Amino acid sequence: MSVTLSDTPVLETDRLILRAPQAGDMEPGMAFLMDDRARFMGGPQSRFQAWRTMGHLTGHWVMRGYGLFIYCDKASGTPLGAVGPFFPEGWVEPEFGWSAWTSATEGKGLVAEAAAAARRWAYDTQGWTTAVSYIDRDNARSIALAKRLGAVLDDQAAYPDLPGWEGTLVFRHPGPEDLA
Amino acid sequence: MTHPVLIPTLETDRLVLRAPAATDLDAYAAFCQSDRSAGVGGPFTLDDSFHKLSAIIGQWSLRGFGRWMVADKQSNEPLGIVGPFYPITWPEPEIAWTVFAAAEGRGIAHEAALAARAYVYDTLGWDTVISCTTPGNDRSVALARRMGAQRDGSFHHADYGELLIWRHPSPEALA
Repeated sequence: MSVTLSDTPVLETDRLILRAPQAGDMEPGMAFLMDDRARFMGGPQSRFQAWRTMGHLTGHWVMRGYGLFIYCDKASGTPLGAVGPFFPEGWVEPEFGWSAWTSATEGKGLVAEAAAAARRWAYDTQGWTTAVSYIDRDNARSIALAKRLGAVLDDQAAYPDLPGWEGTLVFRHPGPEDLA
Repeated sequence: MTHPVLIPTLETDRLVLRAPAATDLDAYAAFCQSDRSAGVGGPFTLDDSFHKLSAIIGQWSLRGFGRWMVADKQSNEPLGIVGPFYPITWPEPEIAWTVFAAAEGRGIAHEAALAARAYVYDTLGWDTVISCTTPGNDRSVALARRMGAQRDGSFHHADYGELLIWRHPSPEALA
């Protein structure tokens, strides 16, 4: 029996395919969430929490009509991480999020390539006019990526009032007209 | 708007078991934020409720089965969450049930759980299924017994602690 999300978009870039989460993303996604690599996003999570989070990423598409894409190597189909529009309950405003599930994905511009495509999609199809990225101040790689995407620090923007979020940096992305 | 259109809908005398939706968040969050959720690890915040409800939906896609929103057949009012549930840290799949305050004492969980059990046996082809209860959750234990389930040990869960296992009668025993 197959139960799938329907009508979710598939995006293509030079090197990547971006699509909604699927069952095969479960194990690699959980491995990331349970690893120290997830320390800047509330991890490492327990196996149970990671399992639920992967379901959450999928169900977010149903709750909101959009969600994080899984970006995959175009040639092999291997899922590499999650990027895109994300707005769970508790967020102050819509976000563009990103993760690279293993270190092998870093340093090649892949996350930037994926994040830019997902941002373009949100602006073009969801009517978003602005969005932020919430980033731990110690997450130098993520800060560098936000800047590379043209986002700038927004000292006036609030961040979610959640445990452990004190001092979170808010980067605001260029709007659709700035990217045109 | 995206819908997992392939989530099946079941009907009973009084109920519809249907895909959970964003419009169910208020009712689900009210349950999660109340003491009624103590038996399943609560109370939870609104943020947690969103996370959990979307995870319930997402499991249909990731597992191929999952839990339904149980709603009143006439009004579509959400009454609870019932269905096959198989967290990766569970020893085997279970039929899980949760009912909101409005459904208490009306046999709603029983009616929905019977439909869910029939579904996993008849449609998914399972030959056995359990339900798990937390120690002290007397109402849930009473429902397990009412469905003919019998104690079959327990397991320790890293997040939930000890969970009692109740094994349901097999499809043959119910035939």
